[in-house]
Amino acid sequence: MIQASDLHKSFGPVHAVNGVSFTAPDGVVTGLLGPNGAGKTTSLRMVYGLMKPDSGTIRIDNRDVTGDPVAAQKHLGVLSDMSGLYPRLTSREHIRYFGQLQGVPAAELEKRMEQLMEILDLKSIADRRAGGFSHGERTKVALARALVHNPQNILLDEPTNGLDVMSTRAVREVIRHLKAENRCVVFSSHVMQEVSALCDRIVVIARGQVVAEGTADELIALAGKSTLEDAFVALVGLQGEAA
Amino acid sequence: MNFSAIPIIARKELMDSSRDRRALYPLVMSSLFGPLLIGFMLNQIAGQERGAHEIKVAMVGREYAPILVNWLQQQPGVEVIAGPADAEAAVKDRTAEFVVVVDKDFAEKFRDSRPAPVHLYSDSTRLNARSKIRRIRSLLNRFNSEIGAMRLIARGVSPSVATSLKLDEVEVSNAQQRAATVFNIIPMFLILAAFSAGMQIATDSTAGERERGSLEPLLLNPVPRWQVVTGKWMAAALASMVGMMATLLITAYMLSRLPLEDLGVRYHLGQTEILLMILTLAPLALVAPALQIYLACFAKSFKEAQSYMAFLVLAVTIPGVLSTFYPVMNQPWMHPIPILGQYATASDILGGKMPSALGMALAAVAALALAGLFLALATKLLSAEKIIFGR
Repeated sequence: MIQASDLHKSFGPVHAVNGVSFTAPDGVVTGLLGPNGAGKTTSLRMVYGLMKPDSGTIRIDNRDVTGDPVAAQKHLGVLSDMSGLYPRLTSREHIRYFGQLQGVPAAELEKRMEQLMEILDLKSIADRRAGGFSHGERTKVALARALVHNPQNILLDEPTNGLDVMSTRAVREVIRHLKAENRCVVFSSHVMQEVSALCDRIVVIARGQVVAEGTADELIALAGKSTLEDAFVALVGLQGEAA
Repeated sequence: MNFSAIPIIARKELMDSSRDRRALYPLVMSSLFGPLLIGFMLNQIAGQERGAHEIKVAMVGREYAPILVNWLQQQPGVEVIAGPADAEAAVKDRTAEFVVVVDKDFAEKFRDSRPAPVHLYSDSTRLNARSKIRRIRSLLNRFNSEIGAMRLIARGVSPSVATSLKLDEVEVSNAQQRAATVFNIIPMFLILAAFSAGMQIATDSTAGERERGSLEPLLLNPVPRWQVVTGKWMAAALASMVGMMATLLITAYMLSRLPLEDLGVRYHLGQTEILLMILTLAPLALVAPALQIYLACFAKSFKEAQSYMAFLVLAVTIPGVLSTFYPVMNQPWMHPIPILGQYATASDILGGKMPSALGMALAAVAALALAGLFLALATKLLSAEKIIFGR
C-alpha cells in the first residue's frame, strides 16, 4: 500500500506539485489521470525516492520512507518515465542484472526470469541484444526488470505510451495478473481509454493538485456528465476556472 | 554493511564494454602505438649508428690522389666509390649524403709538401647523414695529422713540436642522446595508457547511461549511490590497469629485441624494473578513471564526455613535453602530485636509479586519496536531481 500525503515540489518559481495526497491500497489498480505537465511524473518520482519532496510524507506498506529511497525501493517495482536499456545486453541479461541488484537469490532469479518472459512474451527475444528492439519490446523488457524482485507495490509511469496493440495487451495482462495477486498497482496516464479499462480507482491530477478521486462512475456522477472523458475535461477545467 | 552490489555493477560494465568496439580499439591501440613508435625510433637511431661504421666515400678525382684513396680503403668499413659529376648539386638534391672532391693539382702540391686541396660537400640539416659526415671528417683529419707527422720525422723534427695541444676528446655520442630522448617518452606513453584504456568504461557508464535514459532505472534499485559509483570505477580501473600493464610489457619486450648495445644506452627494463614500474603507475590507473567518472557525470551525452576526456589526455602529456625543454625532473616535491610524481619516478627507474620508497609511498597515498575524493564527488553528483533527470 502506498500513502502519499500533502506532497509539495517546486523547481525554481514553478510549483510543479502543490499538495498532492492519495492512497493506493493493495489489490487495487489506482490510476493517476491528468493532462501533460499536471505533476503526475513528479509525484511518482517523489514516491519512488529519486526526488526529494519539499514537504509531505510517503508511507509504503505503513512504513515512513520519506528521505530513505533505498528502503522504499526494496518494496517497489517501477517502470519510470525514462526506461532506457543497454544496447549491448540481451533481454535476459537486463532482467538478471536488476534481479542481482535487488538481491534476489540466484536459483529463484532464474525461475522468476522464465516466468516473466513467459507472461510478457519475451521468449523469442530473450537472448537478443536490446540494440535493435522495437519500442514495444523495450517497454516489455523494462517492465520485466522492474518486476523481477516480486515487489508488493508497482508504479507504472505511462506504460502504454506509444505501444502497439499487442504490446499494450501484454502490459494490461501483467497489470491484471498483479491485481489478482493482491498487489498495489499505481498507473499514470493521460489516455482516458487506458485508465477506464484498467483502473479501479482514479485520481485526477491537474496543475499540481488532486482535483477529484473515485471510481469512473463516481467521477462521471460528480461532474454530471455522461462519459469519463467529458467528466475529465469538466473536472480539469473546473479547477482551471477556480484558479 | 552489504557491499554485494559493487562486483555486480563492475561485472556488468566489463561485460557491456567488452562487446563495445569503441572500447576495445582504444585499449589495443594505446597499448601498441607507444611501444611500436619507441621501437621504430630506437631502431632508426641504431641503424644510423651502424651505418656510420660502413661508409661509402663518393669521391670526385680519385685519380689525382691515389695515396688518399689507398689510405681510406685501408680503414675498416670504408669503401671509396666514384663521385657524381656535380658534387654540390648531388648533395643538395640528396642523391649523395656527402661528396669528397679532390682538385687536379693535389698530387703536385702533395709532392711539394704544400696543403693539398680537398673539398667536403655536406648538408648539416640532414640528421640521418650526420654520423657518416662526422666519420669522414675525422678520417680526413687523421690522414692530415699522420702525413704531417711523417713529414716532420723525415726532416728530423719530433711531431710533438707541432702538436700544441694533446686533445683528449670524450665523445658523448649524439646517438646516445637521441636514444635517451626516446626513452624519456616511455613514461608518457605508460601514463597515457592508464588514462586512455579505462576512458571508454568511465564515460559510457556515466554520461552514456544518462544519454540512454538507463540511469534512472539503475538508481531505482536499492543500492547506495557510492556502491554504484564504486562498481563503475572498479571496472574502469581494471581496464586502465590492464592497458597500462600491456603497454609496459610490450615496451619491455620491444626493448629486449632491439640492439640497444649499438647505442651505448644505459637503460634497462628487466623484471625488477617492470615490477617497480607497476608499483609506481598502479595508483595512477586508480585515480585516472575516478577523475574521468567524475568529469563524465557532468556530461549529458557520450560525445560531450569525450570532449572533456580529450582535454584531459592533452593535460596528461604536458609534463612529458615540458621535460624535454626543462630537464629538472624528479624533485622531491613532485612525488605526491599525480602524473608528475609517476613521471619522475618512472624516469628514474628507466635510468637505472632506485626510486625512494618514501617517494613511491607518498605518490600512492596521494593518488588513492584523490581517487577517493573524485568518487565521493561523483557520488554526490549522481544523487543530484538535476543529474538524474536532466537530459
